[in-house]
Amino acid sequence: MNARAVLALALLAAAQGAQAGRSCERKLPDSRSVERAMTLAEHTAQRLDASGAQVVLVARVGQDLRDHGQRYSHFGIAYRDAPGAPWRIAHKLNQCGTAQAAVYRQGLGEFFLDDLYDYEAGLVVPTPQVQARLLPALRDNRRLAQLHTPAYSMVAYPWAQAYQQSNQWAIETLAAAQEPSISTRPQAQAWLREHGYVPDALHLSAFQRLGARMTAANVAFDDHPNSKRFTDRIETVTVDSVFCWMSRSGLGGAVAVVR
Amino acid sequence: MKPLRQLALHALIAASLLAAAAPAVHAHPPNASDASALSLLPIAISVSAPAMVLSAGAVLSVVAVEASADGAVWVLVRASDGARASLRLSGQLAGAMSVAAGTTVMVAAISTGWVLSAAGRAIAFIPNEIGKALLYNERVTL
Repeated sequence: MNARAVLALALLAAAQGAQAGRSCERKLPDSRSVERAMTLAEHTAQRLDASGAQVVLVARVGQDLRDHGQRYSHFGIAYRDAPGAPWRIAHKLNQCGTAQAAVYRQGLGEFFLDDLYDYEAGLVVPTPQVQARLLPALRDNRRLAQLHTPAYSMVAYPWAQAYQQSNQWAIETLAAAQEPSISTRPQAQAWLREHGYVPDALHLSAFQRLGARMTAANVAFDDHPNSKRFTDRIETVTVDSVFCWMSRSGLGGAVAVVR
Repeated sequence: MKPLRQLALHALIAASLLAAAAPAVHAHPPNASDASALSLLPIAISVSAPAMVLSAGAVLSVVAVEASADGAVWVLVRASDGARASLRLSGQLAGAMSVAAGTTVMVAAISTGWVLSAAGRAIAFIPNEIGKALLYNERVTL
């Protein structure tokens, strides 16, 4: 085998490895998980009704992140137009393990009708002032899209703009709604820093980083500063870090758990 | 060894190592925000059926499936007495892979509607009024 053929083979092997991570299983859920998801959606709606709020941060447990010290994996911002109106939730979804994502407005049913690890919701009610500023933004598709970056990495660096993961979109959108002069992601990130937001650091070895990068299209590390990346500290916007910050900064209340 | 050959060998070794390591690494993805596939479950838009056809524990059989551009129409018959129900469903899979004529369908009643299943897999959800308020899907950005 000549050198070019070996190189071609090597690249092919690497490419196949990468493809393996891009799964998009078109598989129907088991009936029990649909029952549990719809019941959790109903219980969450009842709790939201009882909260008296019009805007609430709602999180789900999409996977077991206990090894990373995290409870919730993903959150969106729920709202309703008036008492008695149905709750809608604005959130960002990554499409089937690709490197792209989009913003959706969904019902609580769709929000929980996913492949959940645990049927528990985490709720944080923002202060009335934070809610009042968020509500018009949540109704307005242009404002929901304003800070959205389609390029997706599930571990996007919180202080960069190359990629944007779901929780990062939500927290940047929250920031922009609070300050009318914010129209860009760097401005929203500056606001978050000024208001004391601190991301969580996940500890990922070089081996884990390399493996994840090669097997999944929706993981990238090139937006992280080398000084942190090479000490295995991968900072990203986790739900738990957002919920702690909301409470610590006085922007919202403590986490309420719904099952 | 020529430089190109050396490079190619290194690349081959690296690729082999990665291929071998991939499953183990993939088992612990650092996923702090869900890489979510949208729900594929067909949702009933309209139902024409005597109320008792959709009772808990009912066993139905699929008589016909007609696919349409945005979903499908299923005709179901109750095994016990031949009562018929027709469901109009939305969802990518409503006409594709979830059922075929002859499929046996179980009905489970929950507080938000009815879950239809075949062989343990949910094949459709029929929301009641509570369930309808919980379902909405709009893509905001491209």
